[in-house]
Amino acid sequence: MIYKLLQSLEKAFGIEEAKAHCDIPCGIYDPITAQIAALTVVRMIDLATDLDKNTAEKGLAYHNTVSRYVAVKEEHAEKVKHDVRVIWGDYLKAQHLEKYPDAHALVHKIMSLGSKARQTMDREAAVQLVEAVNEFAQIFWETKGIATKRAKAPYNPPLELVYPNL
Amino acid sequence: MLRLLKVSGNSLSPGYQEGDFVVIVKIPLFLHPYHHGDVIVFHHPHYGRLIKRIKVIDIAQGAVYVAGDHPESLDSRQLGPISLNALEGKVIWHIKKPRT
Repeated sequence: MIYKLLQSLEKAFGIEEAKAHCDIPCGIYDPITAQIAALTVVRMIDLATDLDKNTAEKGLAYHNTVSRYVAVKEEHAEKVKHDVRVIWGDYLKAQHLEKYPDAHALVHKIMSLGSKARQTMDREAAVQLVEAVNEFAQIFWETKGIATKRAKAPYNPPLELVYPNL
Repeated sequence: MLRLLKVSGNSLSPGYQEGDFVVIVKIPLFLHPYHHGDVIVFHHPHYGRLIKRIKVIDIAQGAVYVAGDHPESLDSRQLGPISLNALEGKVIWHIKKPRT
């Protein structure tokens, strides 16, 4: 009744709009960037470990290369944390969190493992980071109603990643 | 001061949908402060007049941070903080379009 009255008013006099705007860029969320960054952390640890084992004389060249591996590890561990925070903070809404109440704890775990990946050369912790981000990716795709599959990454290290089954 | 506006877009769905009407009120902040969860109308320099829900109020900065209810809504990541001066009012009456 009231709605019909307002519709008549709108036809007669016009009513200004307030836009509940959705836009293309804000819909682009994908955990794959965090998954690849987590995998990169493991890769840098592997490269540094191999170099350390196979270098007898640890001179300037050795330190230069190790420094570069560590810098890339730092950068990608931080990228994991950043990209997961964006999806957690901007994409996941109350209705998702009701369905996945453990998501907060999982994100916190990723933050902690990401920090550990920066602080140490602990490969096991880095592999745990990959797996935690995989769990996060699985939740993300489930919120979109998209099934997932697990497959080994087609590059080193060949760890399993969660992919959307598109 | 009351204003009648029509909602376009779906960023506040499922609660607010395209074609709904809202009545907003703008009165001085000290008489009627904004709260977390209020649905507000504001002017954005790029997107024009928008309707969103308040997520965070930062009195020190004189701004609010907003988001939609829909997962693909624009939010403060794209919009940035919204100055309190840009607020046109908050929704006090929501007249829903008959749902089919």
